[in-house]
Amino acid sequence: MMLYVLYAIVALISIYTTRHYLFTLNRLFGFQRHPYIDIDTAAWPPVSVLVAAHNEEKVVAHILAALMGVNYPKDRMVVIPVNDRSTDRTREIIDRFCEDHPGRIVPFHRTGGKGGKAAALKDAMELVKTEVILIFDADYIPGSGLIKQLAAPFFDPEVGGVMGRVVPLNVATNLLTRLLDLERSGGYQVDQQARMNLRLVPQHGGTVAGVRLSALREIGGWNDNSLTEDTDLTFRLLLAGWKTVYQNRSECYEEVPETWHVRIKQIMRWAKGHNQALAAYALKLLFGKHRATLRERIDGFWLLGVYAMAPLTMIAWALALGLFYEGVVPLQGVVALLTFTAYSATGNFAAFFEIAAAARLDNTRQRVCLIPFLVLGFVVSIFSVSRACADQLIAPITGAKFHWDKTERFRTTP
Amino acid sequence: MNPTLATLLLVLLAGILLMLPLLPALTELRLKRDAQPLDVVQQYAGDIRHFSYGFRSYITDLLEPLRDCVASGTTAHGTMQNGDQYLLIGHVNDTRFVSAGGTTAMCQSVVAAGMDVVLPDGITFAKEIYAAGEFTGGEKSVFRALLGEKGIHLRRACTVMRWAHAVGTFQAEHGCDLYGRISSDREIQMDSGCVFQRLNAPRIVLGRSDVEVTNVDIETVQTTQPGCRRLVDEDLEIQAGEIVSANIVTRGKLHVGAGAQVFGSVKSHEHMTLDAGVHVGGSVISASTMHIGPGCRITGPVIAEHGIAIETGTHCGSVRVPTTVSAPTIEISGGVTVFGTIWARTEGLVVPQG
Repeated sequence: MMLYVLYAIVALISIYTTRHYLFTLNRLFGFQRHPYIDIDTAAWPPVSVLVAAHNEEKVVAHILAALMGVNYPKDRMVVIPVNDRSTDRTREIIDRFCEDHPGRIVPFHRTGGKGGKAAALKDAMELVKTEVILIFDADYIPGSGLIKQLAAPFFDPEVGGVMGRVVPLNVATNLLTRLLDLERSGGYQVDQQARMNLRLVPQHGGTVAGVRLSALREIGGWNDNSLTEDTDLTFRLLLAGWKTVYQNRSECYEEVPETWHVRIKQIMRWAKGHNQALAAYALKLLFGKHRATLRERIDGFWLLGVYAMAPLTMIAWALALGLFYEGVVPLQGVVALLTFTAYSATGNFAAFFEIAAAARLDNTRQRVCLIPFLVLGFVVSIFSVSRACADQLIAPITGAKFHWDKTERFRTTP
Repeated sequence: MNPTLATLLLVLLAGILLMLPLLPALTELRLKRDAQPLDVVQQYAGDIRHFSYGFRSYITDLLEPLRDCVASGTTAHGTMQNGDQYLLIGHVNDTRFVSAGGTTAMCQSVVAAGMDVVLPDGITFAKEIYAAGEFTGGEKSVFRALLGEKGIHLRRACTVMRWAHAVGTFQAEHGCDLYGRISSDREIQMDSGCVFQRLNAPRIVLGRSDVEVTNVDIETVQTTQPGCRRLVDEDLEIQAGEIVSANIVTRGKLHVGAGAQVFGSVKSHEHMTLDAGVHVGGSVISASTMHIGPGCRITGPVIAEHGIAIETGTHCGSVRVPTTVSAPTIEISGGVTVFGTIWARTEGLVVPQG
């Protein structure tokens, strides 16, 4: 029995590995889809730009200043900072910007209610009057052309969501930020763009992103019970026949975690949220009656299962070890395959060959040398994600409540 | 050999072999040779006029001496700070610059003309040209880049390699190859047989047309408007003359019959055909190829992931609602007018008539 479980897990991991290889090859040699990036003249639609901010005094001024400088028609863009129960100077900074830019910023100050970004966005929807909604976290710094680039896909009546590329700004800080820079590179430059190319399921990231108001209403609005409202949104849009598109050239700087503690909290939240979506949508996506295509059903299923692979990989290691000492059968081949594929398949999409390909596509040369250190990130991820999964499994017994961990900021200039 | 020493050596050797792949990583971690954030374009260099504005700043220092040349009716030359040679023309139809590069067919200098200028045929200009007045390029000439403060007129079979911008009208005669960015603050007119990539102007008129070009505004529908969405899993045909008020998405082919009117946007996953006289109030998107028949009126962006063919008399956008037509390959018949941008990533062609 243990042996068959081990075989099953190895088979699953091998499928993920194959998937990563396909994505990388597609990105290097396949037809690249950027259908909306050339729309540079249009009757630009009115947009609302939501900036999610919870205790963001270190960064919120930067994004508001950047948004005031974008080249989108001023009369068609309103910025809505969603100040979610901040206890620092976030409110004061936002209000100062409102005074300096009358009519262009409509603040939403939230002093109570349920925690979490989705709950805050849900409440802020009362201020949204436009069909196109763009969303940024407060630590992002959009370039001047970004709003047009993110609004352009909504001219396509099939598009319900759009996602741009996230680029770390604080790369040089330490080993962790450098590893996260590599992970982001692989995840966006290769993984997301390949899924866009292959008409699979590009994932909404909840920041540097957009959503169509009518699509959002059709699927029931923001799900404030989800720890990752972006993953949840991706799959509800998909089931309703709306496409989420990825725009690799719509790049935006972000701040990545600078300490392992913050990184672990971040990835645990992502894992829990992703697994929530797995439980809620996996069966429905595969077998339900809805508007997703066959290839979207299959890819969406594998996408949902990404974070479940970490505990499965650990179980497989334990099984392999146990079976070896029990002398059940010679397992060298299976163990070798497991060892090889586990590193390639997990680690928050950041398989090493995807990263190497991404570094080449980004025309960076030296940073790719750091790839061996990704083992560190992999080990931290696999244990953190496994712990998050275990927490989720025992939550019904321990009675753990919904808890949303905000990612700490490190920028030093307020 | 002493077994203890052998063991130590083995461990040491194994350690060295393990560390070897980490050496480049450790070096990079310590030296931070490639630790800058990726170069994200914060100031939007995608603006079609980006290079022409840059060139205008670049030659600012030459404008005063250029005015002096015009006042004195002379020609001057010299060297800019970066080592580029320049030639200032201050006399009508003075073509002495042709020999500036040492041959009669090649000019290696940045050229600035202070008044209307008509250039002779068959010259290759390896550097940019600035024209303060009306500019006329001779037949079969090759230009690296052109900035005209008034109109630019290229005679037959000219080539632009990088960009051209005219504050007035940009006009290209039959058989011109216009690579890179071509823009005008007023209008672009292009004869049949011209090849292009990226065009932008308030109005772009392609090919000679018997159709009077007017500022036609069809009933405008906001192209991202909410409203009824009709999602079809197979091929769809909208009948001739039918009026549809919805956004249409079909996962097969889409055929819109002659004279039909769609108050909304249309999208097809496979080939899309719009017959003659179709009106679309929103955008027209195909994940494959698209054929737009004669006399159509489209308000919003026209996008195809593989190719677009547009027949005579069709208008895309309007003066009030400029738009974008984009696909890797675009073939446009004479008499088509686009208000805004045409962007053919691979190649666009104004189809020769007949």
